[in-house]
Amino acid sequence: MKGMTIIVKTISSWVKLLIFLFGIYIILFGHLTPGGGFAGGVILASSYILLMLAHGREFVEENLSLPVASKLDCLGAFLFALIAILGLVLGGSFFVNFLYQKYLPGEALNLISAGTIPLSNIAIGLKVGASLFLVILTLSICCKDFKPGTPANGKE
Amino acid sequence: MLYALCFLLFMIGLYCAVVKKNMVKIVIGIMVMEYAVNLFLIMLGYRIGGIAPIVGREDIAGADGQLTNLFINGSVDPLPQALVLTAIVISLGSLALMISICIRTYERYGTFDITQIRRLKG
Repeated sequence: MKGMTIIVKTISSWVKLLIFLFGIYIILFGHLTPGGGFAGGVILASSYILLMLAHGREFVEENLSLPVASKLDCLGAFLFALIAILGLVLGGSFFVNFLYQKYLPGEALNLISAGTIPLSNIAIGLKVGASLFLVILTLSICCKDFKPGTPANGKE
Repeated sequence: MLYALCFLLFMIGLYCAVVKKNMVKIVIGIMVMEYAVNLFLIMLGYRIGGIAPIVGREDIAGADGQLTNLFINGSVDPLPQALVLTAIVISLGSLALMISICIRTYERYGTFDITQIRRLKG
C-alpha cells in the first residue's frame, strides 16, 4: 500500500490536525454539548484512518504503532474502572460523583461543573479511539499478503 | 404506519440474511436488521415538533437550577437515544467481528458462497 496521489496527501496532512482538535473538543465538552467520549473517540480514530488511507499503513504504524495503541486502549479501560472504584472508596457507592459532591462543586453549564464525568469522557474517548484504530489497522494487516481469487494454502 | 415501515425494513434485512448465499450480503442484511430496530427505538421517543433534549443556558429558570416548562413539555425523550447509541457501539463491534470472519474465510476457501464452504480444511 503506497498511498494515494500527492493532492490527497497534501490535503489530508492539512485536515488531520483539524479533525484531531475537533475530536478533543467533542470529548472535553461532552457534558455540555452533544457528543462525549464515544463520538469524540470515533473522530480521533477517523483522523488516523484518513492518514492511513492517504499515506498507507506503514506511515501510520510509524506514528502510532500497534503495541502503543493497544496500551492506550487498556489505559482507557483502566482509567474508567479507576474512576468508578474511586467513587466507591471516596463517596460510598460505585460510580458516585465524588468530585462534584466534595471537591469541585462548580456552576451549572460551565466547563468545570460535572465532577468526574469529563474524566470518564476522556477515558472513554481514549478507549474508543484506540480500539477503533486497532480494528481498522488489524483488518488492513489481515489483507497484507492477500491475493484475491486464490486460497491462502494453495491447495485448490 | 411508520412503525409498519420499520417492520418492513426489518423484514427486508431478515430476507437478505436468510435467502442470500453471499457472506457479505448476509452481513449487510444483519446490519439492516439492526438499523431497523434502532430506527424503531428512536421513533418511540420522538415527539412531533419536539426540541432536542440538550439543556442550554436559556432552558434553566431561576437561580435554583430548575428546568423551564417549555423544555420539559417540548423536548423529545432522551432515553431511547442513549440506548440506541449503546446499541450502535455494540453493532459496530459485531460488524468488525463478522467482517474479519468473512476475510479469514475468503482467505481459506477462496469464495464467499456459503454453499461451497462445506468441509473443514485444516
